[in-house]
Amino acid sequence: MNDKNRQIHAFAARAVFVIVLLLIWEYVAKSGMMGEKSELIFPSLEAIGDAFIRNFIQGYAGISLWVYIGNSMKLLLEGLLIGVVLAFLLSGLSMVSKIFYDICNLVISVFDLLPGVALLPVVIIIFGVKPGVIVFLVVHAVLWPMSRNVLDGFLAVPQIYVEAGMNMGLKGASLLWGVYFPAATSYIVSGLKVGWARAWRGLLSAEMIFGVASCPGIGLFINQMRTNMNNAEMYATLVVIIMIGLVVQYGVLSPIEKCTVKKWGMSR
Amino acid sequence: MTKEKNYILEVNNLSKIFDADTEQEKDVLKDVSLKVDRNEFLCMLGPSGCGKTTLLRCIAGFESYKGSVTVNGVERTKPGTDRIMVFQDFNQLFPWKTVEKNIQYPLKLQGIRDKQELKQRTEEVLQKVKLSGQEKYYPYQLSGGMKQRVAIAKALALKPEIILMDEPFAALDAMTRNELQSELLRISMEEKCTFIFITHNIQEAIVLGTRIVVLAEGGRIVVDEKNAIARPVTPASEGYGETWERLHSALYQ
Amino acid sequence: MKNKILKTMAVCMMAVLLAGCGSSDQAKETSGGQKEAGQEQNADGEAATLNLAYQYGVAYAPLSIVKEQELIEKAYEEATGKKVTVTWNQMSSGADINTGISAGSIDAGFMGAAPAITGVTKGVGYKIFTNLSGQEHGLMTNDANIKSFDDLIGSSNQIALVNIGSIQHILLAMALENAGYDPHALDANIVAMAHPDGMAALESGNASCHLTSNPYIFKERQEENLHEIMDVTQAWGIDDSFIVGVASETMHDNDPDLYQALCSAIEKAVNYINDNQEEAAKITCEFDGNSEQEELEYIQKSKYTIETSNLFELASFMARTEFIESAPESYEALVFDNVSGN
Repeated sequence: MNDKNRQIHAFAARAVFVIVLLLIWEYVAKSGMMGEKSELIFPSLEAIGDAFIRNFIQGYAGISLWVYIGNSMKLLLEGLLIGVVLAFLLSGLSMVSKIFYDICNLVISVFDLLPGVALLPVVIIIFGVKPGVIVFLVVHAVLWPMSRNVLDGFLAVPQIYVEAGMNMGLKGASLLWGVYFPAATSYIVSGLKVGWARAWRGLLSAEMIFGVASCPGIGLFINQMRTNMNNAEMYATLVVIIMIGLVVQYGVLSPIEKCTVKKWGMSR
Repeated sequence: MTKEKNYILEVNNLSKIFDADTEQEKDVLKDVSLKVDRNEFLCMLGPSGCGKTTLLRCIAGFESYKGSVTVNGVERTKPGTDRIMVFQDFNQLFPWKTVEKNIQYPLKLQGIRDKQELKQRTEEVLQKVKLSGQEKYYPYQLSGGMKQRVAIAKALALKPEIILMDEPFAALDAMTRNELQSELLRISMEEKCTFIFITHNIQEAIVLGTRIVVLAEGGRIVVDEKNAIARPVTPASEGYGETWERLHSALYQ
Repeated sequence: MKNKILKTMAVCMMAVLLAGCGSSDQAKETSGGQKEAGQEQNADGEAATLNLAYQYGVAYAPLSIVKEQELIEKAYEEATGKKVTVTWNQMSSGADINTGISAGSIDAGFMGAAPAITGVTKGVGYKIFTNLSGQEHGLMTNDANIKSFDDLIGSSNQIALVNIGSIQHILLAMALENAGYDPHALDANIVAMAHPDGMAALESGNASCHLTSNPYIFKERQEENLHEIMDVTQAWGIDDSFIVGVASETMHDNDPDLYQALCSAIEKAVNYINDNQEEAAKITCEFDGNSEQEELEYIQKSKYTIETSNLFELASFMARTEFIESAPESYEALVFDNVSGN
């Protein structure tokens, strides 16, 4: 009962917040506050709504936004998957070998600081000019924060679980899989959240400066709309990006959280 | 050779040094030797810092040491399911598994795959600790006493040679503690299993132990005697007072 | 407990908001401060300011002269007796400058002919007030088997160029049309990346072609294992408008003196660079990060003029091939009255 009340409250608060934000936007757009060319750089909600539909029907260069989204998602999922698997591998190996841990720790600290886009020239030379470059940049965006989280999670596993596991005859990989992974779930989930957001942003910024025309993505679409001064379309695409982000947050990440750490009483 | 086989556990000249080769170097255990008979309930009393927990952890295989630990005449250096540890900390169950799964997981690791057998063993041990019907709960939904019961059930299900208990009831309130003591006493009398039980509570040692050992600094054994008081022991039992006094003076000498 | 957390959060948010306001106030103060300084110097007149946006490279070389020799300030003072504060903003793309001008924070800017045409036809509120430079462009390849468009169309060969919809992309389309192909026949072969990345990709063999401009085209032409597909060079050459200047209609209409000062400053700088190439190279090499020798070479290989060339043709082509949505009616719709050329 109380819980339900809280949910309604939370929903109402969010709804009010969003509506107020939209009203402010509309007021700024309509008031001419942004100068004479207001409708060009600060389009009204109606214009953005129209552009939203136009993006999917007409798209750019005769290709609907759906196709761009599809291409981006494909590269994103590929990169995300590789990144997550590598992160598990890196942090797993770090727990097994002290030397590997020391090296890994340094590598994570160093590479996490490098913006993926700055690596582009090197990546192009190594990987060539193909969508794989984008995948690489997504992997780069996910891998380090994710590894850091998983590693921190492993280090925070209470000794007693490890000893209980060893007592049952677990060791090496089976101990990692049977104790460390489940015990670090809350860290892994928060790593996934950070990793997902970084991957999504990394993908878009990579696509905005490195575009393979045979596999055009959302970033390229946004850049095109910007180049052509189609700001309403650009904002509409940003809305699409936000919507995809929300779908992943509430459709994928929250359920994962609900049936793991929340169910186990490891997080409220 | 045959003489040695009589002992389920032998600890020979076990030494453990903390912070070796530093200024804080400390001999936690110095040349400790101990022989335990099959089906004994050995209570180990000792003041804080006497090394009793370290000794138990060495036996469990969690620590490295000098000397040897043999179970059934075979030397053990790594943890194994023949010596199951029950910790003092309530949070020794895996929070991501239900009560049932916590009990069944180590069994599965032992190669028991048959669902029927798993289920039957779980029911059996839960009944022993009086937790029948609580299979589906997650640990966070249980009280401290219930968690310790599950931990004991989990240990029993594995049918180990020795159950090592490190003050498992020390963090419980007095009522639950008494309750669990009598449960454990009943179980220990029913089971064919050896117990090594660490406590700093003299009453607990007298109630539970068939043999009582008092350790002093460095793991030196100052008392090692059979508990002759007829079971079940209450403070009114004959000989309780003298035993208590004797152990108390050995502890605080 | 919960209330305490909420309160702390509210305080934090307030702090952030206030800090935000503070910093924007500060930003205003500095620009206001500049205005005040201008006012003090012109006690009798209003303070004039000019916000300019430019980009990076040898194609913008005359601007370094304008900046260094304070040509706008001098021309304005000569004509009106008043001072003007000129602010130079280096921006990274024509699209950014377009947004800046339509928001009113930029008065005039310099960019590629293509984004300028996009801006004019989109109604950003500016027109072209001068041509700045023409440059050489070329399509280089590292594959000896590629000799013409025939070898590229339908193949999986990749063409690196700076961006989809950029002037290089348009030139590719133009060259294709001139050669009798569909102007968008090679669109799927494009990979968009910055000039230096494209050069690296070409040299390392990761992309088979690179469509680029001065100075990268000269560097690539010197390499033995690369050769050029001439169609692009022929489609749009050094004589054709590449970089142009745009000025907001507001400035053109409201402050004709300032507009005139801007036009004449650019003209002077262009003349200067054409008459004193060595001197000019000394000034501009620092801005462009080249050695004096290189800079001189690149300047000599550029064409600096204030007269536009084939601008309307470019706009018509862009409209016809759907790079822009609507075609300008005439050359005059693209440029202000004072601009000569076509």
